[in-house]
Amino acid sequence: MTDTAAIKTTNLAKRFWGGFRNKDVLALSDVSLEVHSGEIFALLGPNGAGKTTLMKILLGSLRPTAGAATINGHDCGRWEARRKAGFLPENHRFPSYLTGLQLLYVFGGMSGMSRREIKPKADSLLELVSMSKWRKTKIKKYSKGMMQRLGLAQALLNDPDLVFLDEPTDGVDPIGRREIRNILLDLKRQGKTIFLNSHLLAEVESVCDRVAILDKGKLIKVGSVGSLIEVKPYYWVETYDLPSEAAKKVRAAFDEAQIENNTIKVGFKDGRTINALIDLLRQNNVDIASVKPISVSLEDSFMQLIRPEATGE
Amino acid sequence: MNKFAAILYDSLLEVRDRKISYLYWLVAGVVALAIAFIPNFKINNVDLLESGMVSPEIFQKATATFFDGLIGFMIFLMVFGSAGLIPSFLGRGRVELTLSKPIDRYRLLAMKFASIYIIMCAILTITMTIIWLVLSIRFGVFSWHFFAGLAYAYVQFFAVYCIVFLLGVASHSTVVGIMGYFIIRVATDLLAGRKVVYELLGDSVWKKILDGLYHILPKIGEMSANYAPLMEGKGLDQTYPLYSTLGISVVLFLLALLIFSRRDY
Repeated sequence: MTDTAAIKTTNLAKRFWGGFRNKDVLALSDVSLEVHSGEIFALLGPNGAGKTTLMKILLGSLRPTAGAATINGHDCGRWEARRKAGFLPENHRFPSYLTGLQLLYVFGGMSGMSRREIKPKADSLLELVSMSKWRKTKIKKYSKGMMQRLGLAQALLNDPDLVFLDEPTDGVDPIGRREIRNILLDLKRQGKTIFLNSHLLAEVESVCDRVAILDKGKLIKVGSVGSLIEVKPYYWVETYDLPSEAAKKVRAAFDEAQIENNTIKVGFKDGRTINALIDLLRQNNVDIASVKPISVSLEDSFMQLIRPEATGE
Repeated sequence: MNKFAAILYDSLLEVRDRKISYLYWLVAGVVALAIAFIPNFKINNVDLLESGMVSPEIFQKATATFFDGLIGFMIFLMVFGSAGLIPSFLGRGRVELTLSKPIDRYRLLAMKFASIYIIMCAILTITMTIIWLVLSIRFGVFSWHFFAGLAYAYVQFFAVYCIVFLLGVASHSTVVGIMGYFIIRVATDLLAGRKVVYELLGDSVWKKILDGLYHILPKIGEMSANYAPLMEGKGLDQTYPLYSTLGISVVLFLLALLIFSRRDY
């Protein structure tokens, strides 16, 4: 049987020794997930949720305490698993004595590329991330955003099938963020698999196919972005004047209707649609000013899953 | 560019950036200039070398003693020059990226060790050869046995660097690497003279402890005793410190690889 999962973890756990005085820290607990080839998969979660720990286990920096993880069918502890992988770590500290181009030569070489292979690839990637001008400048002079761009070029240098990006837009300006988003979509079109950690939920929502939500080391939810932000059938209906008689009828017909001044917030549970409300209002000669669907963002959904008490729902 | 070439290239650029070699060029330059401008050894206007009053053997012995001290000093500098390179390689934010590359951990660290070792030995070779060449030309005596001493310096630096390397991998600290090396160095020099202390120790358990420590620690100081005889063409004077130190160094090197292969980064 062929395993098509680019990444697969089974009951993965990681416990960090807390020292002699403190308790051990359970950074990951029983995490099982699959990332399919060719998709953009995002790992979401608050700080300390275990996102970076999971990524580091997949890339061989950390060893799992229990469970297993594979990349393209190879155990993630083996170097073969990383043969066609690219990685942009969070809080990276690239050697400051190198120039941007030298960094690509060093890490490209460590990926097994020849100097002849690196040269044209480095040129085109530096162009792609708008860093050509700074290629011969030492990294110590780079801003955070420039290092992030260079890091992305480095992650793509060996033409990886699987790209791990830990907070790729951290410190990048809005223009750069948009450029990075376009690069990710372009990579997806090329059939690459992208595993992304990000705090920027709007960004994740716009590029990712599926997301997993981690909290306190546990996997809370995995699913498509669509399934997480499914538009709940809620509407704001604004009227020019809502007589009390008509308001009573609306409340009687729709249990969840909340009426404030001339505005109705209403949800539909039993298969009815907004048309039913509009019909009722029109029958009572109420003039409708506007009808607005209430959309739920990934951020709303995320907050609801992670901190339901904070959302008040 | 293969993987080792990439690591060597990286190490070379780091050594250059840290200006580690500058001190060697300075020492080599000062010593070479001093040799070039010192007057001939004369008594009553008679050149001691040309007149045969000082035989080439005596001259060779004198230069061997000179190079013995100079190589010792250069290796002392090499400890300072190289101790920071491993902690820097293992620094947070850098090691994760390095480990994400398709290289086995054992090979990765062994290649880093080899790259630093090669660069430091190359610096030593260039500086010492320049000094030897100036000295040989200045006095017209070419003592080729100097190169046996230089080769022996590579072996001694291997032993020295294995200690610094292990401490660097285990602690991620340059200071611990340097201090640890000097503590071991002083301890082994003291242990080499342990027989004097035996007179004061009636308890045989202490003798066994001191003997045990002597045998399990690298004998860097005692290794230095071979420089002069080697450069005089007499061969090795003491073989036990050399072979036991080499054996221990290999164990320390493998221990460093083992620690690196098991540790979380």
